[in-house]
Amino acid sequence: MIQNTVWDVSIILMGSVAAIFIGVAAGAPVALENYGPAIASAYRMRVWLFILAAVVLVAVNWRTLGELPYVSASAQGTPGIQRVDAVGEQWSWTISPTHFTVGETAEFHVTSKDVNHDFALYGPDMRIVTQVQAMPGYTNILRYTFKKPGIYRVLCLEYCGIGHTEMMSDIKVAAAKSVTGKTP
Amino acid sequence: MTTQAIGTSRGGIDAGIAVRAYLAVTGIVLLLMMLFGFTMRLAQAQWINIEPNTFYMILTMHGSGMVGITGLSGAAVMWYFVRRHVPVSTGVFVANLVFFLVGALLILGSGFIGGFAGAWTFLYPLPEHSGGLWSANAAAFYMLGLLVIGVGFLLLHLDVLRGIISVYGGLGAGLGAKQAFGLAPEKDGPPPAVAAATMASISNIVGIVIGAVVLVLMLVTLYVPSFTFNTLLAKNLIYYFGHTFINVTIYMAVIAVYEILPMHTHRAWKTNRAFYLAWVLSTLMVLTVYPHHLLMDFAMPTWMLIAGQIISWVSGLPVLLVTAFGALTNVYRSGIKWSVAAGLVFIGVAGWAIGVIPAIADGTVIVNSVMHNTQWVPGHFHTYLLLGMVAMMLGFMAYIGGGRAPSRLGPAGLWTFLIGGAIFVLAFLAGGAASVPRRYAVHLPGWLPYDRVGVIGAGLVVIGTSLLVTRFFLALRSPMSGDGIR
Ligand code: HEM
Ligand SMILES: [Cu+2]
Ligand SMILES: [Cu+2]
Repeated sequence: MIQNTVWDVSIILMGSVAAIFIGVAAGAPVALENYGPAIASAYRMRVWLFILAAVVLVAVNWRTLGELPYVSASAQGTPGIQRVDAVGEQWSWTISPTHFTVGETAEFHVTSKDVNHDFALYGPDMRIVTQVQAMPGYTNILRYTFKKPGIYRVLCLEYCGIGHTEMMSDIKVAAAKSVTGKTP
Repeated sequence: MTTQAIGTSRGGIDAGIAVRAYLAVTGIVLLLMMLFGFTMRLAQAQWINIEPNTFYMILTMHGSGMVGITGLSGAAVMWYFVRRHVPVSTGVFVANLVFFLVGALLILGSGFIGGFAGAWTFLYPLPEHSGGLWSANAAAFYMLGLLVIGVGFLLLHLDVLRGIISVYGGLGAGLGAKQAFGLAPEKDGPPPAVAAATMASISNIVGIVIGAVVLVLMLVTLYVPSFTFNTLLAKNLIYYFGHTFINVTIYMAVIAVYEILPMHTHRAWKTNRAFYLAWVLSTLMVLTVYPHHLLMDFAMPTWMLIAGQIISWVSGLPVLLVTAFGALTNVYRSGIKWSVAAGLVFIGVAGWAIGVIPAIADGTVIVNSVMHNTQWVPGHFHTYLLLGMVAMMLGFMAYIGGGRAPSRLGPAGLWTFLIGGAIFVLAFLAGGAASVPRRYAVHLPGWLPYDRVGVIGAGLVVIGTSLLVTRFFLALRSPMSGDGIR
């Protein structure tokens, strides 16, 4: 799950930066006799830090920009993909159809009748699996292939007025039909 | 370079008193807004019960109030230090405070009397679709309040830029653009306060003008229902303004770090080529990175969203590799005698640098797909605003007014603020990783543990900040105490 990876990496990096600050602050009251060479080596270290940061930056962006969720207009209506209409309004969702099986790919056509909403799909474990904004005047296309059976939930994640938290709706995903005779 | 005699009054108002007035207003508003935040956290934790309409009204007031007060106090830091290098008008500075107070009254009225709860991002067309919760007039008061505050800031930034141009000859020179590109010797570059003030003023002027445009358009739509405009365009303009304004608060407050740390370490802040380059690039990036707020708007041109991700990543480098690195090398084995002021500005740099990390993560499209508008977002921005910007600003407050305050108050406040702040932001981040949405008045049972830890952190922050603000007010009694302006 992306959330866990992001949490782990963030906590490690945040903790490391915090540790450096704490270390420097704690050692600071004792003056160094000869600051010159220390500072020179610090600036040499910064060059290496810069190179490291640049490499990480290019690598991560290269990798993550290859998996964008944006569906190009020409790819719409691909056979085998279930079109689903999802319309938000203050303060409810209208979604159809709402029953799927594991392995099926839904293509949500998401829009809004009034203000900005956000169509967030939560998995059976109540973790977000994907989302897209619901905007009046626009239809945003979001694809998702169901991976687990159970009740998925749609929550509104763009503040839309007093009933914002009431915009919850269920989507049922059945286990994949076992194909008889194929089991070894 | 001219150095203005410190303490001279222009336009009959004493600059020292004006800065203290800014900080006094800041102390009061900051604490009030923190209490609002604490109330929201208590409500989410279900330890108190407030109606959703009240929750969202408080959310709107907290968001606008905090953004406004960080802007105001950031301006005080910038003005106080830039004034040592260029001529600026005390009259304009005071006028900005007056505009702010008038705007704040309009906004408070729109919320507490009119019930306006459209959030500080007033996303079009929500203000006119309240579902009967607030009237068009309430929304109009809110927007007028923002406009009035914007006018004050516009005047102040124009005056600062005028002063910078009068001494350095141009905005590029104020930023140190020639030094950045190796066209002039590093030693002839502007002082850090001037480079930062140039960047902050240019950026804020652009952002405020764009914000004023969308506010005026929305004011018209409130009363002329037949007049509508594109919702996606409105979103772009609003986030452009919001992103720029809130980021500029940090760029103004960081001047306190550049000035206060060297006084304690007796080492000048190193203004080398990388420093100037960082400020030039930050100016360009703060003005172009806002599409990272729109990553889930699939209707946006894809190239803008890709650019939003890449610029988000790159914009972290100047912070981490120049300002954080600069602070660390300035302090490293310097023989510093830590004071409350130096400690707080140092914490501020750490908070900024640390908060940038989860922010960059969220600026990545595939991460944004599962973290956008969860509590990960208040998690990262409270890290660089509360533990970053506000810590720097409280450091400035301690520097201006802490000289003769009772000795225990400061350290006790600092540690409570720091420990509470860390707990508070980690609870938000953990909630976000667990998909707890932001801006939810009512939380599901599974989310309550995060909220309850958050309450504890928030409570400590309120206590710590109260001690630091009290210390400032106590010091005001002894006439012009401390190491501030006489
Ligand atoms: C004791 C300190 C603070 C507490 C307890 C606090 C609490 C909160 C809470 C509970 C929220 C709503 C979170 C949600 O969406 O579920 C929030 C939002 C926010 N806070 Fe704070 N906060 C504090 C300090 C600050 C500071 C110093 C700033 C500085 C700028 C700030 C700026 C904001 C903003 C801009 C929002 C977003 C409002 C919105 O979503 O419309 N807060 N805060
Ligand atoms: Cu909604
Ligand atoms: Cu909503």
